[in-house]
Amino acid sequence: MKMEGKELRIKTFLSHNTRRIMTYLIAAFLLILLGYYLPRVLPGDYVTAMYSQSQAIITEEEEAWLKAEYADKESFCEYIIALVTLDWGYSLVFSEPVSDLIFSALPWTLFLLGSAHLLAMIIGFIAGVEAAWRRGPLEKLSVGLMTFLEGAPEIATGILLLFIFALVLGWFPAAGGETAYAGYGMFRWGLDVLYHTILPFITLFFAYLPGNFLLARGSMIVILKSPFLKTAYAKGLPSLRVRYGHGARNALLPVVTRFGLRFSFMLTGALVVETIFSYPGLGTLLFKSIALRDLPLIQAIVLFSSLLVLTVNIALEICYRFLDPRVRNET
Amino acid sequence: MVEIENYSAVYQDGNHSLLALDRVTFSLNEGYITVLIGESGSGKTTMANAIMGLLPKNTVTEGSIRLNGDELTHLDDDSYRKLRWRTMAMVFQNSAAVLNPVQRIVNQVAEPLIYHLGIKKEEALQITEKKLAHMSISSDEMFRYPHELSGGQIQRTLFAMALILNPRVLILDEPTSAMDAALKAFMISLLKELKSKGTAILLITHDLDLAVKTADEAIMLYLGQIMEVLPARDLMQTLFHPCTVAMCRSFPTMDAVRDLGGMRGDAFYRYTHVHRLSDGKTEPHVHIAAGADREGGHAPILGCLFRPRCTQAVEECGRTSIQLTQAGTHKVRCVRGGIVDLLQLKQIKKAYGRITAVDNASVSLRAGEILTIVGETGSGKTTLAMIAAGAIEQDSGMRTFKDRTIDEWIKNERFSFASEVGIIYQNPAESVSHRFTVYDIVAEPLHIQNKSSGAAASKKRSGTQNEEERKKVLNALTDVHLPVEPDFLMRHPHELNMGAIQRLCIARALVHDPVLIVADEPTSALDPSVQAKVIKLLLNLQIEKGLTIIFVTHDIGVARKISDRICVMLAGRIVEIGPASKIINEPRHPYTELLIDSARGELIHFESPKSEQSVSPDGCPFANRCSRRVGKCLEMNPPCSNVQGQSHLFWCFNPVVLFSYDKKMRTDGEK
Repeated sequence: MKMEGKELRIKTFLSHNTRRIMTYLIAAFLLILLGYYLPRVLPGDYVTAMYSQSQAIITEEEEAWLKAEYADKESFCEYIIALVTLDWGYSLVFSEPVSDLIFSALPWTLFLLGSAHLLAMIIGFIAGVEAAWRRGPLEKLSVGLMTFLEGAPEIATGILLLFIFALVLGWFPAAGGETAYAGYGMFRWGLDVLYHTILPFITLFFAYLPGNFLLARGSMIVILKSPFLKTAYAKGLPSLRVRYGHGARNALLPVVTRFGLRFSFMLTGALVVETIFSYPGLGTLLFKSIALRDLPLIQAIVLFSSLLVLTVNIALEICYRFLDPRVRNET
Repeated sequence: MVEIENYSAVYQDGNHSLLALDRVTFSLNEGYITVLIGESGSGKTTMANAIMGLLPKNTVTEGSIRLNGDELTHLDDDSYRKLRWRTMAMVFQNSAAVLNPVQRIVNQVAEPLIYHLGIKKEEALQITEKKLAHMSISSDEMFRYPHELSGGQIQRTLFAMALILNPRVLILDEPTSAMDAALKAFMISLLKELKSKGTAILLITHDLDLAVKTADEAIMLYLGQIMEVLPARDLMQTLFHPCTVAMCRSFPTMDAVRDLGGMRGDAFYRYTHVHRLSDGKTEPHVHIAAGADREGGHAPILGCLFRPRCTQAVEECGRTSIQLTQAGTHKVRCVRGGIVDLLQLKQIKKAYGRITAVDNASVSLRAGEILTIVGETGSGKTTLAMIAAGAIEQDSGMRTFKDRTIDEWIKNERFSFASEVGIIYQNPAESVSHRFTVYDIVAEPLHIQNKSSGAAASKKRSGTQNEEERKKVLNALTDVHLPVEPDFLMRHPHELNMGAIQRLCIARALVHDPVLIVADEPTSALDPSVQAKVIKLLLNLQIEKGLTIIFVTHDIGVARKISDRICVMLAGRIVEIGPASKIINEPRHPYTELLIDSARGELIHFESPKSEQSVSPDGCPFANRCSRRVGKCLEMNPPCSNVQGQSHLFWCFNPVVLFSYDKKMRTDGEK
């Protein structure tokens, strides 16, 4: 009896999810379509961009020849086939396969953004829950501080941190993801990477923390007033169990939702911070490629990052279904 | 087990604070079910929360709550936590919101086992499964989430959760609000089972029927004060405090026959706040405010809280602070000791020449009660009612009104007594003069009263008096929903329909604010639709003005709808008297049964009169027609007997024993 019920539940769960995944596939296709056409309507081109900043003078013939050389002749069909075969073309600027460029930049970005995001979420959440639990002067102070931090854009904190800790105090490196050509062993290399990551990490961490904290605190305060929390308290459960098993467990839901929403903005955040610290991630790459109108690279990065956001959202949606049983039966 | 002594709780809310409980004292005992009744906002749930230690932190409390002698009010959080659920548990007011939406119910029910007793999770789940099965929640259902359950399933889950650690004290907050009848029956049996196991139970409910069926003791709360403590079986039957009476009258039970009454006015919350005086001293201060309006009038701290809504309030009620005092098996907080007897008739006899109209009738009437006298024509109903109204003098016997002898009162101050009683006569068309206008008809009693007082001896009435009179007349007309336009006031009775004339008669009876209304067949001349309106009107007046009404009718169907008590008369004697529900559903006297059956059109027990044996004048007046007659019925009048523990009296040697319902089942079976 019990198993039957469970199987049935899994079955409906799956069929429901195939439908969702279909929608995501359609979304992905639209993204590819946009990724193909949008860069093509971008004003300016690689040749103009290259020579507008240089002293070199080229004749009109030469320019026409260059433009023809770099013009995009790929049709949409060819583009799709190329995409699937991971043949994303050559970067005009770096003269390297675009896929190589992206995959060498990706780990850096993932490491930086992932750690900042996750830590900001976990710490912000716990701090928010605790703040809501012990309302008082300390809580008021932290809320004020967080609201202030929430208002400070990462471009400001980034530059400030760079100025103070890298340029004035010289405690941390000002640029790069690792010490170039150091030839460190595995362990030393790891430490070196961490050392380089600290400033951009802190910048991002403080950019993400206040939102998480304020949201967690807000939703926890609402949860604390709900009748089921009174039930849990009345049951004489230990305080930790009441706070986390019943309270925080429910306060988690909006925080997770926010994580998904914020993830879409991840790349913009990365763009600014990575550029400030010259961090060898996707953001820096994107910035450079846009500046130089490196069409294949822009196209690939935009597409890749939007697909990444889409994937994360799918993952979160599935995760949310486990977190909140109430949305499971909804269509 | 749990003793609550002089417990007060004040919710803090800005400058004002809400006094939710005011010096409440009672106790919960092993194997004993105490029920708290009262309107919403009377402090029932606050009491439950106070015992569980769940009041908001900033609540100001006073007095003590003891569990087996140990004081709970000063207990630190951790010790209280250990007490909760293990020793005392609570079933919260039913709604899915009291369960965590993201946890399976089985886990929520099992939680106390794991965290209080340190039982391993697997084992705890097994115990929980058994407990839930006991509450008829299947092993499939128990893995559901709260939003996947019906209201009844949630209620049973809450029960299972509360009982999981077998607590010795159980508090139930409105357990039946989302329950169907079957579930209610299940719960009643569950409560009885718990009671036999020695659990001390506090039941909070609006459902008085449930209270009667399960509880031992009932406590009536009004605005945080205990108004009456009574044995639960007396609910719906024998009530002392006007507040309890109004409450019970409002409740629809299966055997209530009278139309629902209600409590007049609105519920009031009390706010206390502190006035700072100029010399730095502070003075606590209570407000009574309607609903959310906290700026209501400054009411004195003294006196009865129910006074504004009470139908028998006297000046004294507002003057002294009132304590709970023992009255028989009840405890009542009322200056007047609960509902007072307004009118008492003792062994009244009245004969018109050789015809005995009333023979040895004793009736007492409580304030705010509707007593209906039913019986066939010539049974002496009208005579008895008119004797009560002071319109006819009895031959022998005593009659007292407001603790004064009526005869003496009438002899000394005839008009003053007359202003206490309003009479509505049998035939409306004939009881008004056709030469009078509407205004004059209603104003006539006032004219008579004024003539009696010395000032009005001079025929010229002053202007102010005229004004006052007009106001009274218009008020009376408004009370009976008649128009007050000048045009209408100048009409003559023949221009009005029968319903309007009857209303006019009622207005005339009401014009000098009487305490007692004697209505003699007020509806027999009316068609059913008008009759319904007039009955509704009388009931409404009764609730709003707290009138005491003697209602005379031959129609037991009408009596059923309007009465608190019914008195059945036959040949000048009272043969049965008691609460209306009892008389209608469980009549004891064969004559009452006959009346009811014939009203129902089912004369199943009517047999042609038995042999015309001579009945001695002392014999039972029904003996000749009675199918249950025994030998002595012919010789002597049966003595008064009462149904055990009830105020239901009857005069019969061989009363009907079966309840009419069962009886009908049986006779149907025989057919």
